[in-house]
Amino acid sequence: MAESSKFEPKIVAFLCNWCSYAGADLAGISRMQYPPNVRVLRVPCSARVDPFFILQALQQGADGVLVSGCHPGDCHYLTGNYVARRRFAVLHDLLQFCGLEPGRVTFAWVSASEGERFAQLVREVTDNVRQLGPNRKLIKEQ
Amino acid sequence: MDKVARLRERAKELLEKQEVVGVLGYRASSRPGISQVAFITRPEEVDRLIFDSACSQNLANYLLKVKDKGKVAVVARGCDSRSIVVLLQEKQIEREKVYILGVGCEGVVVQGEKSVACRSCRYPNPVIYDEMVGEEVHFEPETVEDEFDRLTPDEWWEVLSAEVARCIRCYACRQVCPNCYCPVCFVDASMPALVGKTHNVSDNIVFHIMRALHMAGRCVECGACHRACPMGIDLMRFNRQVAKIVRERFGLVAGAKPDEMPALTIFKPDDPQEFIR
Ligand code: SF4
Ligand code: SF4
Repeated sequence: MAESSKFEPKIVAFLCNWCSYAGADLAGISRMQYPPNVRVLRVPCSARVDPFFILQALQQGADGVLVSGCHPGDCHYLTGNYVARRRFAVLHDLLQFCGLEPGRVTFAWVSASEGERFAQLVREVTDNVRQLGPNRKLIKEQ
Repeated sequence: MDKVARLRERAKELLEKQEVVGVLGYRASSRPGISQVAFITRPEEVDRLIFDSACSQNLANYLLKVKDKGKVAVVARGCDSRSIVVLLQEKQIEREKVYILGVGCEGVVVQGEKSVACRSCRYPNPVIYDEMVGEEVHFEPETVEDEFDRLTPDEWWEVLSAEVARCIRCYACRQVCPNCYCPVCFVDASMPALVGKTHNVSDNIVFHIMRALHMAGRCVECGACHRACPMGIDLMRFNRQVAKIVRERFGLVAGAKPDEMPALTIFKPDDPQEFIR
């Protein structure tokens, strides 16, 4: 127990420039509190998130990954997130099939005006990953 | 007239009339039970052509290698024809430059047993063809069960990772696959390197997940990769799963219908998204 209560997960978040990153920014300038466990990487669009990014993050030591883009219909590039959604669906199901813990990788839609939603999402994702414990499955032993 | 005799006859006619520059099919090898790919360009050589349960390769793959020679006739079973459909959809070949000699297929036999992929085959007959050689084939597909239903996710992860840990990263599975044709494959990319190149377990798992993912909506479950693997790794586990995901989520079957594009090249505004927060 003492061991797990000390565990602070490292979470890599891929946020799209136009919605989710702006949502995170809003949470920041509104001084909302959320756990400092996320490391944000800004990408132009959720469709830029190659499944490799997610798997590599886990290989290189992330305990969890969050991928977030604009809500369907709101994509800056019109259809990027629709295309990404299919790809994420297959990745999600395939990871589940392989036996990766659900909750290691989280997909979300967060708009630029949803600062509180972003803060809440990070709280939940951090809690979930903390419960799961360190990522031991995909990590690449050096 | 039996299938093979008819095949030879038609191949001869097509070559003599110069309707095609060559016929892509199978020929016997020096080892019983194993056939080779044949590209026959002269009418007097057509007697080399065979078609039986030893014909294991997916000929659509070899079509890509001879497509620039001119119009080519190709022997195609259900799976090969579906691969051809995917190649047409992805604009890798032109319909006018292929003449499809359709054959019904009872399944590939490897060392006395029907290949795993073929046991659950739902497409023994070609989905597109210019002419059928011989009769269509009909049989009940078996349901191939994955044992993962009986295991916990952790146990299944152990089973799968022990399996892929044996992968020596020779990429035979990629080489034989008709739909793995990228000029630079992700495994060869080095700037940046997308996945480690040694047979480290973590890299192997990532390789296998990404290979399967790149086949989503494109893999026709022909089993050529599985049969080519020198380590006997059951690649069909991944392929079957990906096909199932695509079927259940998007209602699509790779290459089954020429007018239904590969699942990941299209989308619907109301695609299921229950997994997204
Ligand atoms: S991945 Fe394997 S089963 Fe699927 S089309 Fe390629 S060779 Fe055939
Ligand atoms: S053919 Fe088998 S051993 Fe070779 S890379 Fe593919 S899965 Fe690995």
